[in-house]
Amino acid sequence: MVVVMKERVSTEQVECVIAHLVELGMDVHRSTGAARVVLGVVGSGKVDPRLIELMEGVHEVLRITEPYKLASRTFKPEDTVFQMGDVRVGGDEVIVIAGPCSAENEAQVNTTTAAVKRAGAKMLRGGAFKPRSSPYSFQGLGEEGLRLLHAAANTHDLRLVTEVMDISQIEVIDRYADVFQVGARNMQNFTLLRELGRTRKPVLLKRGISATVEEWLLSAEYVLAGGNTQVVLCERGIRTFETATRNTLDISAIPIVKQLSHLPVFVDPSHGTGRRDKVAPMARAAVAAGADGLLIEVHCDPDHAMSDGAQSLYPAQFDRLMAELRIIAPAIGRSICLEPIARRGWAR
Amino acid sequence: MTLDALRAEIDRLDDAIVRLLDRRARCASEVGRLKREIGMRIYEPGREAVVIAHVKAVNAGLDGPLTAEAIERLYERVMDEARRIQRVEIERHTGGASAPETES
Repeated sequence: MVVVMKERVSTEQVECVIAHLVELGMDVHRSTGAARVVLGVVGSGKVDPRLIELMEGVHEVLRITEPYKLASRTFKPEDTVFQMGDVRVGGDEVIVIAGPCSAENEAQVNTTTAAVKRAGAKMLRGGAFKPRSSPYSFQGLGEEGLRLLHAAANTHDLRLVTEVMDISQIEVIDRYADVFQVGARNMQNFTLLRELGRTRKPVLLKRGISATVEEWLLSAEYVLAGGNTQVVLCERGIRTFETATRNTLDISAIPIVKQLSHLPVFVDPSHGTGRRDKVAPMARAAVAAGADGLLIEVHCDPDHAMSDGAQSLYPAQFDRLMAELRIIAPAIGRSICLEPIARRGWAR
Repeated sequence: MTLDALRAEIDRLDDAIVRLLDRRARCASEVGRLKREIGMRIYEPGREAVVIAHVKAVNAGLDGPLTAEAIERLYERVMDEARRIQRVEIERHTGGASAPETES
């Protein structure tokens, strides 16, 4: 920790801060500059930087180490990679998760699943319990939705990712899904995170609407602290003053988080922009910036979707996007699922 | 003097400085032991001010390239280490085993 004193601070004020830190068992390195005194603070004592900042004469307190431990690269320098069936998350291959916002009915789930599988998605996304901004909006099909998604994922050999909103849903979702998704609104639902830490199933943790990178990693820490090491972080846009897009997709978060943490980083360009025409450019940018995977909303008939139709891609658009990503990924040393049709061609 | 001769002189001086710092640190450690026995605090700003004033006065008489500010900065490092030595000395005897250091 570094304590920067104010300009023209009195000797007594500096002495008071040093005395307090020494009393807490810290070693203090005092540096007197031309205008300011700076104190370097080292040690294993428990110091609350906010309390130091309130002391007379202190200009600011800068923390050097991160408040999260298990999620940090200092704790685990190598990337976290885990296997889910034939899908390897966090490795060289960029994993694409695609599917509808919500499961609506059997035909919609099956048609959409077949389309995303054809295009090269490795996992199916789809909501059964929907966190909607309005209580009067479609709230999801519940367990019936899970059954439909599970059946479609099985038919097409895809892993299923679905959102868990509450502790009470963990058990039922666990029966159908391969990955628990924690939505942006629940990123700081610490009781839910703690409970998911007790499971041994991957957790895809979305970044909160106005969460800093540090808060996001602290939320991941809750899951990791429970012994569940399979956490995937997912950037989905943050709230800014800009209204041209639903959220501002923070592409810079990808290299930043990948430096701070060993956890895989995915990007959701659908919620990140809220607009179908902006999904593909942001998906391309995310892969180019080093994302380990994408989470994309695709709907067989977006114009009649019961939720998030405006940001859902038509299957043909998703096909085109996957073809573009197959060109971008190798440019930065990554691979992405080959077109299943091309693979069939080779087998013949 | 040649560059090599100057560097040899610096090496000889560093040898003397380190030996003197060692003697100073042993004194500081002994001071830590006495402070523990009479229950004094490690950090004594008044004493540190006296030390700084003393070394500045010595330096002023030499009229060399080191300014008063430079000697103060150098001695701040020396006293940072002395405080650390005394903390370790006091913790060793109060059972508060010095935990491995981490940056806070």
